Parts: sequence; structure tokens; C-alpha cells
Amino acid sequence: MKNFLIAALVLAAYSCAKTDNYAAPNSTYQGNLIDSVTGKNLLTETGGASLMLKQLSWSGTPDPYYIPTKPDGSFEDTRIYSGQYSVLPTQGAFWPTDSVVTQIGGSTSQNFTVVPYLEITHFTDTLSADSLVMTCQLMAPRQNGLPEILEIWPFVNSTEFVGSGAFITNFTISDPSNGSYNLAAINSNWNATIAATTYRLVVHGLIAGRTYFARLGVRVNDSYRKYNFSPIVEVDVPTK
Amino acid sequence: MKKIKYTITILAAYILASCHKLNVPPLNIISEDQVFSSANGVEAYLANIYTFLPMEDFVYEPNGGFMTGNGGRWQCFYHTDAIDGEMAGPFGGTGDAATGFGFWPYDRIRVINILINDLPKYASLYTPAQVNEWLGEAYFCRAYTYFAIVKRYGGVPIVKTVVDPNASIASLQVPRNTEEDCYKFIGADFDTAYSLMWVPGASGNPSIEQGAASKYAAMAYKSRAMLYAATIAKYGAANYVDGPARAAGLVGIPAGDANTFFQAAYDAAKLVEGQFSLYTGGYPDKEQNYVDLFLKPNNEQIFIRQYSQSDPNLNSDNSGPHSWDATMTCRIMTGDGLSRAYPDYDYVERYGELPIVNADGTPTRFNNLADITNGLEPRLLATVYFPGMTLRGQTFDQQRGIYKTFTGSAAQELSDNLNTPNDVYGQYPDTAAGVNLIFSSSSNNVYAGHNVIGRAGFNPSTGDDNTRTGFYLRKYINYNAPASACGLYQSTQSYIDMRYAEVLLNRAEAAYELGNTADALADINAIRDRAGAVEATNSMTIDTIRNERDKELAFEHQYWWDIRRWRIADQVLDNRKLYGLMPYYISSENKFIFLKQIETFQRTYTFQKIWYYEPLPGGELAKNPNLYPNNPGY
Repeated sequence: MKNFLIAALVLAAYSCAKTDNYAAPNSTYQGNLIDSVTGKNLLTETGGASLMLKQLSWSGTPDPYYIPTKPDGSFEDTRIYSGQYSVLPTQGAFWPTDSVVTQIGGSTSQNFTVVPYLEITHFTDTLSADSLVMTCQLMAPRQNGLPEILEIWPFVNSTEFVGSGAFITNFTISDPSNGSYNLAAINSNWNATIAATTYRLVVHGLIAGRTYFARLGVRVNDSYRKYNFSPIVEVDVPTK
Repeated sequence: MKKIKYTITILAAYILASCHKLNVPPLNIISEDQVFSSANGVEAYLANIYTFLPMEDFVYEPNGGFMTGNGGRWQCFYHTDAIDGEMAGPFGGTGDAATGFGFWPYDRIRVINILINDLPKYASLYTPAQVNEWLGEAYFCRAYTYFAIVKRYGGVPIVKTVVDPNASIASLQVPRNTEEDCYKFIGADFDTAYSLMWVPGASGNPSIEQGAASKYAAMAYKSRAMLYAATIAKYGAANYVDGPARAAGLVGIPAGDANTFFQAAYDAAKLVEGQFSLYTGGYPDKEQNYVDLFLKPNNEQIFIRQYSQSDPNLNSDNSGPHSWDATMTCRIMTGDGLSRAYPDYDYVERYGELPIVNADGTPTRFNNLADITNGLEPRLLATVYFPGMTLRGQTFDQQRGIYKTFTGSAAQELSDNLNTPNDVYGQYPDTAAGVNLIFSSSSNNVYAGHNVIGRAGFNPSTGDDNTRTGFYLRKYINYNAPASACGLYQSTQSYIDMRYAEVLLNRAEAAYELGNTADALADINAIRDRAGAVEATNSMTIDTIRNERDKELAFEHQYWWDIRRWRIADQVLDNRKLYGLMPYYISSENKFIFLKQIETFQRTYTFQKIWYYEPLPGGELAKNPNLYPNNPGY
């Protein structure tokens, strides 16, 4: 009798515990953002764009889930629930696109082609003494309705992670006494002059014997104000 | 047989007992009629509402919330002005606090709605004036609370009735109203409050208690709320983030309605005229007058929150003491605590550039640190502690370091500074070549007879508890209290949430936007006269008015909301570094110089456009899918 009571109590205690029988987030979702102009991966930076995922198989109004892109324009999430998602590349320097409904399960790969606001072309870099000179031109794949173009920034860092979130301030601020930035201000809508101009940015005061990584970034005044980048160049400043 | 008898008896007992309905009022719950049937009850109920008003006071944190619990209520340096660029503060960047803390006070709105709905049932117990005054205060508090929600999220559900929690789920899941409707609702509630409340001090009316709202407080806040709506309409039409919520009007207001709201703001501010005045009690000393404005009761204060040292229970509500004195000044002048937020040179420069560089580019030499304050506007000196000023018998002797010698221009030095080795005190022998600039991690170190950094100086080893910008905050600092009474949880000066200067600034901004430049000029000059500033002229622009607002209301939780509603935050905070005014001593000349340099933590502040609205709290979205779509970008 006593044993029976104990058994009953144990059963009763367990009866309320529902087992979590959902599969763990064990799927992988990866892919690339493809630049429609070059056909290669979009040049961006850490967190320079995101994929917004909504798990439709979970709820009609799911909270969005974001996968940030890597600097090379790829993305990967190895711990994601399998199921049906709507996926939207967003928060980057490209024209808005439509979301895509995707079944994610196991290992899913998917590429997205996006149209960048601007393409940095004819990019050159030359080192003269302690100054790095970078030049470029701009090209707009789509000109109609392009938001106002703000400016071109030179970014220099001591690691290959270089971009708007990782740069050495002293090379991007031209005059420390008044805090003005060393950049090419454009502040205009797209026009023929911009298309014809070669922009030249000079970073002064690089220290001899060090290695830097540099690139240019241009942005437009859209919702996210992210940058379209040039490739990253490695600059070895010779010792004196 | 006996068994059956017992069974029947027991059964009968059960059956009889079952007929008793339990209709006894519970002893541990205070019922509505107990509260509303006595004046004391109603006033206690209202006092509770005031206590929990979402006021951005001394203990408010933009990422932590309204400190009605113990929370972080000693951390006054977690201030909105430390994320918007007025102060260099404890936050790593703007993003630390820009998405808020999930504020969703519909429980408080319910408490207010109960009073508005149920008090009229007991109206026969009181005079009509009493009932109206109480209802007016409740409408005031409801509008106040809604404004706090709407300025964060845009459109939210408007709930005016007391909702039965047992009603169907569908009826409880109220959808969002448009942002414009929310502002109209807030304006209407302030109007109702204005129409119901009595004129304090008029024949037969008692005066208003300190800390309670008045008829004119309702109009002062209406001018603030309507100005927000107007500027969001005017400037948000150009600079916004698109999304379904915007398309549905849940965030954003049509540009065409801007002038209606500007007019409402102007009219409300105009109604306050003559009821309050700018404080001039300390004249002719305008600096002392401006200092005392924040410390002494006066007729500029329209709505304040009081704190009490005698409240033993810090956890119960907002009335316990705060820690402003302990956390805004360095340790040598306080009982305990540490400071972590400092006004930056960017703020000081709103008053114009300081004469720190000569025409030839060389830094100006000063005989004393305090000479930098010569000829500055009294209001600036009353807002910020400059090097060389004193508090509680101690001097703000902050120095960044010592130059052995200084030749050449300020700009040249700043770029050389990067490349030449600096001596952290004692690292190199005094004769070492190339070492010209000496820093120190201890306030005790002396080089050639002169303290290297001063006791309030830039000290990298004590972490945050020393200035990063060369300044300390002076506004609201209680200079009368001895250092021993300036520890944590020891400050009790009131927080002024609304003062007449703001009403004038609201009026000036609205008037200017409506094309009434003459009125705007008169308002601005009233402020400038009291501040001891040069009067404005007819050639002023909207930027003159905005700059005046930033100067006058600095460090009062205003600038963060201003740059948001003007939709300029993404331009003002764009890879932005904050600057300090670094004082150095030149050993060979026995003089001081000041260099404009990036604050010592060198943090970067960037405001993303999606932060013009905070995301709706995820938990609320899960409970109420009708709140979708979430704000753009989230």
C-alpha cells in the first residue's frame, strides 16, 4: 500500500511535466549576398548588412531574427531551427528587395542578388612617403530614385577588419583642433558631374614600419546609411 | 446503523453549508468604495499615481527605466545626455540605450482610468470643485503617461476605459492608434485637465501643493507635447525609415498637419504667461542666480518631484533620496560614490569658441587655470564646473599633464602627439631625449615642483572617477551641503521637470515655425537676459532658437528627445567623437595652455535612423498580435 502511494505520488508529480519535444536548433543556413553589377560577393563589413528571417512555420506574426553578414558578403548560422522562413536581405547599402520564402532544414544554402546603391570603380591606392592616396570613381547601377549621396570616407585600420565600425580615428579626422573629417563630401543627388569625377582622398601621417589595411566607403542617405565599399588593400609603410 | 446516522449527519452538514454564499468583503483588499468615499482616500490614491509618473528625473536611466524600485537609482550618471553627445558618460555608444527598456505602463493607465471612471459615482460626497480638481489631476497624469509612451513608440493603443480582465481575449487585444491620433488624444486630455482644475490661490481655492499638477502645468506640458508632434510632422516627413507601420500612420504624422500642432503648442504656452516667471532671486549676481534656480523653491518651477531623506524604504517608490551630488562630482568633493559623466567641449562651444588658440595658431598662455573662465556667460559658468573653480573648499585643479617645453602651434602638437613618446610619470629619466609630455596615474605625483594632473585631473588608473573632458557638471549640484552629506542616497534637492524657461522656449520655437519672429525674439531675449547673455537680433534663425534651447535646458533630459524630434540625430551623431578641453602646464614657462582633444575614452557615437522609434516590447507583441506591424527596421 505504501509503495503504491509513493508510486502514485511520483506519477502525479511527473504528470505535469511536459517534455520539450521540439527539435533543437540544429540546422545550418548559409549563403552569399551577390552584387548584381560584379556578379561577385557584395563588399561589406562586419554587420554591414543583415538577413531578416521570420519563421512562418512558428507563428503568423513571428519576431524577426537577424543574421548579420560577414565582411566578405557571406553569411552563416549553424544553430537555427528548421522550418519555413521568409528571408529578406536588409539593413545594407543596396536597393530594397522582396523577401523570399525558404524551407530551412539540415544544411541549407541560398544566395541573394542585390543591387548596390553605388559601386566604387577605378579604385587605386598609392603610398607616397607617409601619405596614402586613394582615388576612385562612382557608378550607380540604378539612378532613378537613388537617395542623396552623402560622402566618401577613407577608412584605415591596423587589421584587415576595416570599415565604418573599425577605423583609426586619427587618420579619418583631418584636423584634430576642430574635428573636421577627412572625407569627400558630396551631399547631392546623382548627376553627370558625380559620374565624371575622380575622387581623391589622402590619409596623412602613417607611421613608418607598420602595416595598414585601407579602403574607401561611400553611402547614401537611405534608412540605414550603410556603406558601399572598395576592396581592402594592404599598405606596408617602409621603415625610414 | 450508527454509521449511517453519522453519515447522514455529516452529509446534512455539508448540504447545509453549501447553501452559504461567501459574501464577506475580504479584509486584505481595499475596495473602491473605501477609497473613493473619503477625501483622504482619493488623495492617497492620487498620490500613488504621482509617485509612478514616468518622469525622467535624477534616477531615470534611458536603458534601465524609471527607478521606482531600488534598481540602479544611485547611478545618476546613466543619463540621456550621456548618449546624445552633451556629456561623455558611461555608455559605450548611442546604441547602448537607444532601443529603450520595454516601457509599457498600461497597468498605470488602468489605475488612472479607474479614478476617472469611478470617482464621479461618489461625487455627491464632495464639492464639485473638489471632484473637478481630482479629475483634472487624473487627466493630467493620463496625458503625461501617454506622452511618455508615444514619444518612444509612436502610435500605441488608446485605452480610455477600465477594461474587464475577464472579457474576451479579442476585445483585450486593442490595436495601435495612429501617432497623430495619439498626440490629439494627449492634447485633449491636457485640455480637459485645464478646464477642470481650479485657479490656485483665486478666491476660495486653496493653493496647489508642491509636486502636484496645476491648471497651468497642464498647458505647459501641452506645449511640450504639441511641439513634439509638430516637429515630427514637419521634419519626419523628409527623414524617416519606411515600413508597414509608417504606411499605416502608426509612426509619422502628415507634414500638412505640422502648423496645426505648432499653433496648439503656441496657444498652450501663451496661456501660461503671467502665471510663472523666470527666477531672478539672486540678482545682481546672474551666475549665482542661475545656480540657485535649481536648488531653491521659486516661481519658475511648474512641476517638480521631491525626494525625502526620511523615507527609510528605498524600494517602495520614488520618494527616497537620490545620488546626484555623489555621482556628478569627483570623489575628493563627495562623501562616497564616483562620477562617470562629464560635460564635453562640444556643449561648451555652443556658447562660442573659447580663446585657447592665438591668431598665429599657438596655444594661448594662461597664468592660472581659472583664467579660462574670464568673460564667459554667467549661465555657462553656472552649468559647468571649469578648471580652477571651487566646490566645498576644493579646487577643480584638473590637468591632463605637463609639457616640459612647448613650441609651435596647437595643431602641430596634436598631430605630433601621436608619434612622439609620452612619459607616464617616472617611466623615463628626466633627461631622456624626445620625451616632452608627462602624464600620471596618481594625483600625488609632482614634476619639477608642480603636480602632474591635479587632484581632480585626468587619471587613467582610477577608471571613470575623474574627468574625461576637463569639465564637471554644476547644474543641480548642491554647493551648500558639506562633502560628508554628499554620499550615495543622500541628495534630496527636487527635480524640476517643467520650468517656465522651457515654456518660453517651446513658445519661441512654435512662434518662429509659424512665422511670428517678433514673438520668438522676445521670448529668446527674456531667456538671454536672465542668463546674462548677449541679446539676440532680428536676424536669428531656427538654429538660434534650437541652440538657445540646448544651452538653457542642457543636462535636463531634453536634448536626446530634441534631436530625435527634429530628426537630426542621425546627422548630429554620425561617427561622432566627443571633445574635451585639456589643460596642460608648461614647466619651462610656468604657464597653462588648453588643447581641444578627443575625450580620453575616444568613444564613437552613431545614431541609426531606425532609433527615431523604439521597438515595441517583444512580450507585448506576443500577447497582442494586433500591435503588429512593429516599428520600421525592427
